[in-house]
Amino acid sequence: MKKRILALLLAGVMALGLCACGGGADEGEASAPAEGGNVVAIAMGSGFDTMDPGYCYEKYPALVINACYETLFKFYSNDGAAEPCLAETYAFSEDNMTLTITLRDSTFASGNPVTSEDVKFSLERVKNLKGNPSFITDTIASIDTPDEKTVVLNLTQPDSAILSKLTYSAMAILDSKVVIENGGTCAEDASTADTAQSYLDSTSAGSGMYVMTSYKPDEEIVMEKNPNYSGEATNVDKYVIKIQPDANTQMMTLAGGDIDIAMNLTKDTFAEVQGKDGIVTEAVASKTVSFLLMNMNEQYGGPVSDPLVQQAIRKAVDYAGIQAICGEGTTTPYSLIQTGFMGAKGERSTDYTNVEEAKALLAEAGYADGFEIDLTVCDLAMEGILLSDLAQKVKDDLAQIGITVNIVPQPWAAGYGDAYRDGTIGFTVMYWGIDYNDPNVQLEFMPGASVGLRAGWTAEMDPDLAALYNQAMEATDNDARTAILEQIQDGMYENGPFVMIAQAPVYLGYNDRLTGVEISDPYVVDVTLINVAE
Amino acid sequence: MLRSLERLFRSNYLFTLGVLICIFWILMAILAPVIAPYDPIVQDLSVMLQPPSKEHIFGTDNFGRDIFSRVIYGGRYSLLAGCLTVIIAGALGSLYGAIAGYVGGKVDNVMMRFSEMVLSFPSLILAMLINSVMGSSLFNTMFALVIVAWPTYARLMRSVVLSVKENEYIAAAEVLGASRMRILIKEIIPNSISSVLIMATTDLGNQILMFSTLSFLGLGSAPPTPEWGMMVSEGVDYFNKFWVAGFPGLAIFTMAIGANFIGDGMRDLLDPKLRKQF
Repeated sequence: MKKRILALLLAGVMALGLCACGGGADEGEASAPAEGGNVVAIAMGSGFDTMDPGYCYEKYPALVINACYETLFKFYSNDGAAEPCLAETYAFSEDNMTLTITLRDSTFASGNPVTSEDVKFSLERVKNLKGNPSFITDTIASIDTPDEKTVVLNLTQPDSAILSKLTYSAMAILDSKVVIENGGTCAEDASTADTAQSYLDSTSAGSGMYVMTSYKPDEEIVMEKNPNYSGEATNVDKYVIKIQPDANTQMMTLAGGDIDIAMNLTKDTFAEVQGKDGIVTEAVASKTVSFLLMNMNEQYGGPVSDPLVQQAIRKAVDYAGIQAICGEGTTTPYSLIQTGFMGAKGERSTDYTNVEEAKALLAEAGYADGFEIDLTVCDLAMEGILLSDLAQKVKDDLAQIGITVNIVPQPWAAGYGDAYRDGTIGFTVMYWGIDYNDPNVQLEFMPGASVGLRAGWTAEMDPDLAALYNQAMEATDNDARTAILEQIQDGMYENGPFVMIAQAPVYLGYNDRLTGVEISDPYVVDVTLINVAE
Repeated sequence: MLRSLERLFRSNYLFTLGVLICIFWILMAILAPVIAPYDPIVQDLSVMLQPPSKEHIFGTDNFGRDIFSRVIYGGRYSLLAGCLTVIIAGALGSLYGAIAGYVGGKVDNVMMRFSEMVLSFPSLILAMLINSVMGSSLFNTMFALVIVAWPTYARLMRSVVLSVKENEYIAAAEVLGASRMRILIKEIIPNSISSVLIMATTDLGNQILMFSTLSFLGLGSAPPTPEWGMMVSEGVDYFNKFWVAGFPGLAIFTMAIGANFIGDGMRDLLDPKLRKQF
């Protein structure tokens, strides 16, 4: 009898549980137009603890900063060059050592006009706070403000990426009067003297379309329309951003209508919501790219230091198969520059793979019977794709041409990280995330540059290619930049110790009542482009 | 012994079940190349993540590998690691404990404090530490497990030896002029070993679980070895494709529970008093 009661109770509890789940899904458009106008709810990942632009370096704050502040330049599309935003016009000097910017008329949320003093204050504050994003100002030597609407940046060296750098969240232009009132300073000792962070964590002080009205770390961010916004605003009046990185929760709340945009879907959860009524899905290659590193130094690389072997491996990797494993949206870049960057030459054709040619190359290198080699792989994952999964695929591909690969797992913290930076790893699969949205970040893969040296690739080994590095840094005109970047991509198409394998996909799902939702590399999603369909 | 074993089989169904499960897995592991329909490490991307079907009765994983074949081969690693760890840790630990207990005095004190030092580390953390410093491979994982497991055997053995050495036949052997080495090996160890045997059988299940846990955390053997713990870990990314993590998980579960049933049964057989205490 007792048992039967217990069983009944259990059944009851389970039924209740089911009802609760069902109820959640049926609530429907919880975020549909409320009394305060159009409210849009977003779920995004965590990993940050401040909304002070001077300290923003992580991925997700960029979404909020882009909404609440304006920068001198901005990426209006996901695969173009930086275009003027707060800047109206700009000009480089003959020697590319100074950049003169005139500002357009704009006002901060406080009503103050945006002046050159605000620009100087904001950029110098980032530099002197010495936080994570300070490196971005490294090439700015000093800032002059000849008049209210003109800013002159004096550079330490020609920097073709400077416009892209000025789009970065940390380079957002702050309302200097308000920030100074609340303890802000841009003086040399700002790293200790500045106390504006707590103010900027409670509200924003920018000229963007929205004003941040509340920020609860690891919980929720609320943004409301900026009444003093000088541009043309969208019809979304309020954003509620839930910091909720779990993909399953995002999938279920998106399907239930509790949130409108889910940004952290995984390959698996993406497949769940794909094709559901009322939900639009998007899978796009991010600029996070995985690559094979074959050390040029024979001491570490052994057989893979031979350029013929490197080419054989490049021919043997099954790019289509890797794309299938990584999921929809994955692309393999043509060469060292990811698709989506200005000047990128697009994708490497999937029929580039040719096992016969690879075998012939291997024979030419003197390894007709193949060889055995260790492939060191660390415990990290690239946007949810385990590097060890990529390693298993590479092992399988290289087995086709007679190379026996032994996968050697080594945790990042237990030696891999140091060995990778010191360039003592012979053969590995690794990934690379970009610091800022400019193709120049990829130049680090060139001979003599930081990542190049990790593969033992010195400038002397390929002086022609190495020379292009400086040219690429100096060109400021977009056409000239593209021309040099293309030359570099061709130069590394079938040459060098790196094989770019795959750009990891990012997945997005959103309610179809929204328009203008698109994955954006610099801003996660550019919320200033989103409208609610009438 | 044989008759009591027979009685045990009749009276203790769980023990019988445990033995059957273990025999099943041992046979699977030995006959893996004959039974497995596919090569456990060859990838076939045309059949990625297929649900169980006639061709792949346990379905396929994210590389299109046959999970049934991988589970069968996986038994080799778990069984080998579990058994070897228990045998090596049991042998080392009981010898260590027997020496400490028999010699006594300062030597005992120093030896036991050292073993307690090792024991005082959280075992999983210590095993992870050893593994990540030495690099993960099947051998290193077993080494780490042995390092973590031996002190328990040493303590048990010592406590048994302390009472055994008070027996009159030990005194008699001493009077007869037997060397201490001879007494230790011929008299003390054979008379103390039964409790270690009981513990070893119960421990087998734990060690298999520990090994799976470590490889779940990425500290076992290198991919693409078809190791159960690692297969579960690879499968957790595919939460709505239950077969990827489910079947290797089921294998770990049955293997561990089988070993535990045997352990319980052995305790009944060798030391009925001990069971009542628990």
